[in-house]
Amino acid sequence: MDRIKDFFSTFLLIELLKGMAVTGRYMFARKITIQFPEERTPMSPRFRGLHALRRYPNGEERCIACKLCETICPALAINIELAQRDDGSRRTTRYDIDLTKCIFCGFCEESCPVDAIVETRIFDYHGESRGDLLYTKDKLLAVGDKNEEQIAKDKAADARYR
Amino acid sequence: MANIEMDGKALSVPDGSTVIDAADAAGIYIPRFCYHKKLSVAANCRMCLVEVEKAPKLLPACATPVMEGMKVQTRSPKALAAQKAVMEFMLINHPLDCPICDQGGECQLQDLAVGYGKGGSRYQEEKRVVLNKNIGPLISTDMTRCIHCTRCVRFGQEIGGIMEMGQIGRGEHSEITPFLGHAVSSELSGNMIDLCPVGALTSKPFRYKARSWELKHTASVAPHDSLGSNIEIHSKNGTVLRVVPRENEEINQCWLSDRDRFAYEGLAAKDRLRRPMIKQNDVWRECDWQYALDFAVHALQALKEKHGAQQVGALATPQATVEELFLLQKVMRGMGSDNVDFRLRQSDFSADAGLQGAPWLGMAVAEVSKLDSVLLVGTNLRADHPLLALRLRQAAKHGARVSLLNPLDDDLFMPLAAKAIVSPAAMAETLDQVRRVLAGETVSGDAQKIAANLQQGESKAVLLGNLAQHHPQFSELHSLAQQIAAACGAKLGFLGESANSVGGYLAGALPAAGGLNAGAMLNNAPKATILLGVEPEGDTYNPAQAMAALRSADLVVALSAYKSPTLLKSADVLLPIAPFSETSGTFVSTEGRVQSFAAAVKPLGEARPAWKVLRVLGNLLALDGFDYDSSEQVRDVALTGAVSVKLNNTLKTLKPLSKVTHGALQRVGDVSAYHADAIVRRATSLQTSHAAANNARMNGALLSSLGLCEGVLIKVSQGEGSAELKAARDDKLPDACVRVAAGSAATATLGGLFDEIKVERA
Amino acid sequence: MLSSESLIQIDREVAKYPPNNKQSAVMSALRIAQIEKGWLAPETIEFVATYLEIPAIAAWEVATFYNMYELKPVGKYKLTVCTNLPCSLMGAQSVVEYLQDKLGIGFNETTSDGKFTLKMSECMGSCGEGPLLTINNHKMRVQLTPAKIDEILAGLE
Repeated sequence: MDRIKDFFSTFLLIELLKGMAVTGRYMFARKITIQFPEERTPMSPRFRGLHALRRYPNGEERCIACKLCETICPALAINIELAQRDDGSRRTTRYDIDLTKCIFCGFCEESCPVDAIVETRIFDYHGESRGDLLYTKDKLLAVGDKNEEQIAKDKAADARYR
Repeated sequence: MANIEMDGKALSVPDGSTVIDAADAAGIYIPRFCYHKKLSVAANCRMCLVEVEKAPKLLPACATPVMEGMKVQTRSPKALAAQKAVMEFMLINHPLDCPICDQGGECQLQDLAVGYGKGGSRYQEEKRVVLNKNIGPLISTDMTRCIHCTRCVRFGQEIGGIMEMGQIGRGEHSEITPFLGHAVSSELSGNMIDLCPVGALTSKPFRYKARSWELKHTASVAPHDSLGSNIEIHSKNGTVLRVVPRENEEINQCWLSDRDRFAYEGLAAKDRLRRPMIKQNDVWRECDWQYALDFAVHALQALKEKHGAQQVGALATPQATVEELFLLQKVMRGMGSDNVDFRLRQSDFSADAGLQGAPWLGMAVAEVSKLDSVLLVGTNLRADHPLLALRLRQAAKHGARVSLLNPLDDDLFMPLAAKAIVSPAAMAETLDQVRRVLAGETVSGDAQKIAANLQQGESKAVLLGNLAQHHPQFSELHSLAQQIAAACGAKLGFLGESANSVGGYLAGALPAAGGLNAGAMLNNAPKATILLGVEPEGDTYNPAQAMAALRSADLVVALSAYKSPTLLKSADVLLPIAPFSETSGTFVSTEGRVQSFAAAVKPLGEARPAWKVLRVLGNLLALDGFDYDSSEQVRDVALTGAVSVKLNNTLKTLKPLSKVTHGALQRVGDVSAYHADAIVRRATSLQTSHAAANNARMNGALLSSLGLCEGVLIKVSQGEGSAELKAARDDKLPDACVRVAAGSAATATLGGLFDEIKVERA
Repeated sequence: MLSSESLIQIDREVAKYPPNNKQSAVMSALRIAQIEKGWLAPETIEFVATYLEIPAIAAWEVATFYNMYELKPVGKYKLTVCTNLPCSLMGAQSVVEYLQDKLGIGFNETTSDGKFTLKMSECMGSCGEGPLLTINNHKMRVQLTPAKIDEILAGLE
């Protein structure tokens, strides 16, 4: 009986028709492909992309050089040096993140007591040489300044769960 | 012994010990803040509450003595609940500023809060804020963090000898503070930083430098006094960031003097020598090691050829390691010269022939705390040997009679049974009076009282301090002290001046066969002189003379860690060497303890450990036996056999008392504590904390007879050299004495420490 | 700094204790100093401490612990009214209000002529006779009524 079935299915192209049916179904289904970079997928407020250092609304940098992020970083990608600023406050004199080492685990963000270091939604940054991926304090602050609105929104959205 | 049961474990503990002692001995941890094993019990933090069977309430373990059959529960639900409740109270007013607190990571409150604290606080009200106090350049305060354990207060009262901090107010309004605006001035103040269980008192020089967990810890030995205090050097990225004590009950216990703690700042001084330099046509230029060494070796050999080996000499700082001193003398002896010495501030070498070994403390450091009677001769004890002063203070507290024969009378913060404050010229005479009393004569005055005190008690000592060792009549003082010690059954001891004052003798870095000693070389330098870590302006008995002598030499090869201005004037070659933190080495402390240490960080720039430099120098000079691979090999050769047999304070031949004549005014030239060596002279925080020491002090009678008043600028001069200093009044000084401390740049132009001095209005 | 009479009094207090325990007299000495000076300035405290051979901070601790030592200048007469429960039940509150109205000052304030300072205090141990006040710590006036207060104030010159 099976042999007869096989015989007919070989020249009646049943498998092909089955396959075409799948194709046909998707042909009329709603499209999920998006046109990056013109279109972007939705992102969680917890997305862990490029790092940024934030400031308070009065322009003062948030980072207090507590070094918790440097300590927690499993990839040893963060390098901080600190000193007392003239007004007596504790500030970093150097805050480097080596993005070639970073594994984007988000621990730095998690450990920060003042929400200074955050991971933004930016993932499509690039560097043309190795050095470009060594983000210094100035670069990180610049990222923060540019995206503060989005970062603040994301932080507010996530605040309930933290 | 009492038998008790703790957490179900049967323990047998000495009678009179407390529950917390018993727990510590048994390895059971009871949380505590105010309790410290070296301080009195305050029992005010209540963190150590434990449950004791049959006691109706919980008892503080630190203040509860053990009793036979006692059953203690340290972690019963009741005890734990109490400890957690206490922790909650502690945290009510404690700010949550751990991220910016320097104590973070090594904070007892932080640690215990993890174990006993809650995730959040129930306290909703406003926390109290306490204003910070400025207590000087060494300790930084954040008084809001204070939990009022009063350890710092008790430290001052019980250990430091002077109560500088106190708890004012009551209840919620209590604050720890010094008396209105006073800075803390104790030479042991840094220990409060260690004692503080929270971040209220932290180190100011270390403020915001690093986190405790990222520091590399290296065990080392303190190089600034002769005690050999055990220290731990904390460094990061090749920079020494702080120094903390390493506990050693036999030496420094858990304490450290401020000089040993904060002098590390000098290691990173701006004038550190990073590359070899040579002077050609009066112009200094940097060069490489090869060139500098070749230059030095050729010049040395040429001068030796020309003037003979007698015109080659070497001087070393007693802060150099045994290895360095040994190789230096080996280089000298290899070249056929016996001119080598390290006793730079000594002025009287006439006892050398009678010496039978290396002068040392005469006892173990720990024995100092158990002395019954002690005579201190010529010492600025608190400045020169802060931790020995601490031990003597403890002895005095337990009834020891401390007598003092000294040209200055700085408060030792301990009761003195007798004291004779006399001019340096009269010291030997007074000491002779003490000897005569002990021999049965009667004299009037202080000597009688001193002798009477020396006749009492079992364990006794006569200790000669730095001032006695620098004294122009040192050999007479030594002879007299020896006779006095023999007459009353006391031990004779020397409070060694520098880290390796004993080690220098053991390494043989002094003339053995008629060579020139330091005094002779600094008076009339050999044509070719090697300096090892010597800064003539601060390290010598007579800086003016020393600098003149070195300038007259044809060649001065200076191995130095610093590019000091005087070396730039007098030297011809500067070879950068590593200070103690950057080299391995050995110090022999004043009690004869041999302590080796490893380098904590790499040498700065092209600096190299001095023992390696000297080894290469030996090789380049084509001398035999310079094939050492490690400092340990050098040490093993330098210190063969037992050290204890080489220590001997007894003179073979006594020197009779001579009549001295001196001019109208005599200088009392103690070496100020924070100018004692090249490193500490560059420690900026210590310098600012004791900036006022550079005065010319004299008593009121002398001030008025000279027509001067306090605070005026005066010109003091010795021989050719003079300096302008402020006049200060110190009525405790003997008549006709002007106290001008040595070591600092301000007094570097002056002459001998105890020589005649002239004072006039500037 | 202090008058010879005060020093004689302090010496008498010191004599009550063993010779090595001069510091035991610190409370009496501060009290005597306060009677003479009206209040304890830091210099006064430092003087007393030096006189008793104790560290200045130790005397400062004592002076700040007890609230009857005045660390700020007060008026010529310091009126201290008890406001604890028994006195309050007997009308201490109205006594306080009457005094405040009459002198025109609140607690811890001094009248502009520098004559009176008003202070609040805890129990003075004479509850049977409340409401009550003390004048300069040493004289107690009890069973106060407005009339009696007028009389007391009139008697203070």
